[in-house]
Amino acid sequence: MEESTKSDFSTRLLCLGNDILADDAMGLRVAETLRGRLPASVDVVSSMESGLRLLDHLVGVPRVIVIDAVQTGSAPPGTIYVLREEDITYSPGPSGHYIGLFETLALGKKLDLPVAQDVLIIAVEVSDCLTLGGEMTPAVERAIPEVARRVEEMVG
Amino acid sequence: MSDNKNKAVQETLAKGAARADASYMRRRITIDPITRLEGHGKIDIFLNDQGDVDRAYFQVPELRGFEKFAEGRLAEDMPQITSRICGVCPTAHHMAGTKALDDLFKVEPTEPAKKIREMIYNIFMVEDHAIHFYFLGGPDFVVGPTAPAAERNVLGVIGKVGVETGKKVIAMRRRLREIITTTGGKVIHPVFGLPGGVARRIKPEEQKHFQEVAKEAVEFGKFTMKILEDVVLKNKEYVDLIVSDAFTHKTYYMGLMDKNNHPNFYDGEIRVVTPEGKEYAKFPTQKYLEHIAEHVEPWSYVKFCYLKNVGWNGFNDGPGSGVFCVAPLARLNAADGMATPLANELYQNYFDALGGKPVHHTLANHWARVIELIFAAERFQQLANDPELTSDNIRRLPTETPKEGVGVVEAPRGTLVHHYKTDERGVITMANLIVATQNNSARTAMSVEKAAKGLISKGVVTDGILNEVEMAFRAYDPCHGCATHSLPGSMPLIVRVRDLEGNTTATLRRDSDGRIHKE
Repeated sequence: MEESTKSDFSTRLLCLGNDILADDAMGLRVAETLRGRLPASVDVVSSMESGLRLLDHLVGVPRVIVIDAVQTGSAPPGTIYVLREEDITYSPGPSGHYIGLFETLALGKKLDLPVAQDVLIIAVEVSDCLTLGGEMTPAVERAIPEVARRVEEMVG
Repeated sequence: MSDNKNKAVQETLAKGAARADASYMRRRITIDPITRLEGHGKIDIFLNDQGDVDRAYFQVPELRGFEKFAEGRLAEDMPQITSRICGVCPTAHHMAGTKALDDLFKVEPTEPAKKIREMIYNIFMVEDHAIHFYFLGGPDFVVGPTAPAAERNVLGVIGKVGVETGKKVIAMRRRLREIITTTGGKVIHPVFGLPGGVARRIKPEEQKHFQEVAKEAVEFGKFTMKILEDVVLKNKEYVDLIVSDAFTHKTYYMGLMDKNNHPNFYDGEIRVVTPEGKEYAKFPTQKYLEHIAEHVEPWSYVKFCYLKNVGWNGFNDGPGSGVFCVAPLARLNAADGMATPLANELYQNYFDALGGKPVHHTLANHWARVIELIFAAERFQQLANDPELTSDNIRRLPTETPKEGVGVVEAPRGTLVHHYKTDERGVITMANLIVATQNNSARTAMSVEKAAKGLISKGVVTDGILNEVEMAFRAYDPCHGCATHSLPGSMPLIVRVRDLEGNTTATLRRDSDGRIHKE
């Protein structure tokens, strides 16, 4: 985890994933691609953490752009989704382990923490997030430059 | 139509109906929470010819290819690599990996290094247990087992305990997390544990800060116990549920213990007690393979751990079945007391209140967890006050040729084993992990099965199955494998009823409003 303690940023790019789990490396690869290429007002954070542990990254900045993998199974790998928090229907999970980004955001708001008001999610459809040391699906890998381009466009 | 013809048609129809019925009865029900942020689990329920539950399996997504991935890598990299396996408890994997390296290189860490490691580990346990009690187990116990499903979530917990308490938990978590980050480095590239010691000494000014945070942690533990007492233990309905037969299994229990048979999360020997609470075995961690074996079922890719010397006798409890249990409930059962004063007092109260040792009620895990939280906070305080903590004697350099090493810690969810073999250059030739969820997998399956059996009869599946089954496995907080981060889909849990050909004949779905819909 890279601590997000600075508060003078206007945007935090929160790249989630796991670099040793095949397609799940996608978010972290986007961070690598963009580090040093974005305006100084953008805080680029890579995190392999999940659930409530993401709370630290969602506070202290007006806008957060989340880069993450998504597996709906209903679109080809590499498909890019741009979503706002309100576009996603989430529900309380069947195990505490399932507490995710949205529950964490909702919790932060409920506790009056300075949670980002503007949360945008760029998600890429993936096919394998379970093979340790696995290769990325080519279509997911090909989506990385396009995701990076969209981020650059957004933070202008 | 002649009578004969009519009879033949009737017979054919009857045969067809019988076949259809048989097919309907021998169906498989799958409960599958799809695409959630931290991976997903699945429950398969198989029905017998009468339409009653024959067997139920809880499955977690299996990380594939770990052995292959580890082979050929330097052993020194394993604490970093394995800490990346789990986005929930990287500290546990990092510590088990580091201890496996101590054993691999046959190097005993220096005393100050051991103290620093144990302190950091206990800080992690306070943090994880707090998150679990308030936010993960909370939906069942703080909000209440009978509350509407839509309220049984993190926000429901805050609604019940109040925003101020929620803030307190989050603030405590952050203070603990800051120490782990300062001392141990980033999670992605931890620079904390090394064979024979730790990478960084503790500065005197840091020790002072740790002492302050430790004091707060102990107070926080007491505050948490008060909440448990007020919200859970004073509520007869909850206590009745804890001790109900539906959530009771008389199995063996396992945990890492010190020489006094007090739980030690960081180090010790593995102790196993029988369903009657008598010591069955106590052994050095290196001998784990002599005691723990894995059973494979054709229906599941999950390996079910059992006690090798008792044997696999199916998904059954009792002294004749090798099924055992890990995590807070099991650790307290496997212990003779706690090593710190307040935790020990609460330990005695817990067994007095629940009718003596061992406690077989799965839902008592939540109570046991709070006692462990207090133990971890008290142990953190003891170590934070230790004059040796700031010593610069933090590492003993390894000199032996590596061959084989085992490292075991108690992860929040139970006993975690790392085992590596290497060539003489320290390159991994074999790696094996047993994670806590796997140690608990047989008992978890038994709990799910018990819940399913109570709810499914003659092929009739009720809506209530979702909530009951969830509750049965949530008590174990099974770790769903990995730090996969794929975003959630629109529904977390779905039951599919399938015929013999695999066709879906009915679907039960729980939607985002918490309500259950039939399709």
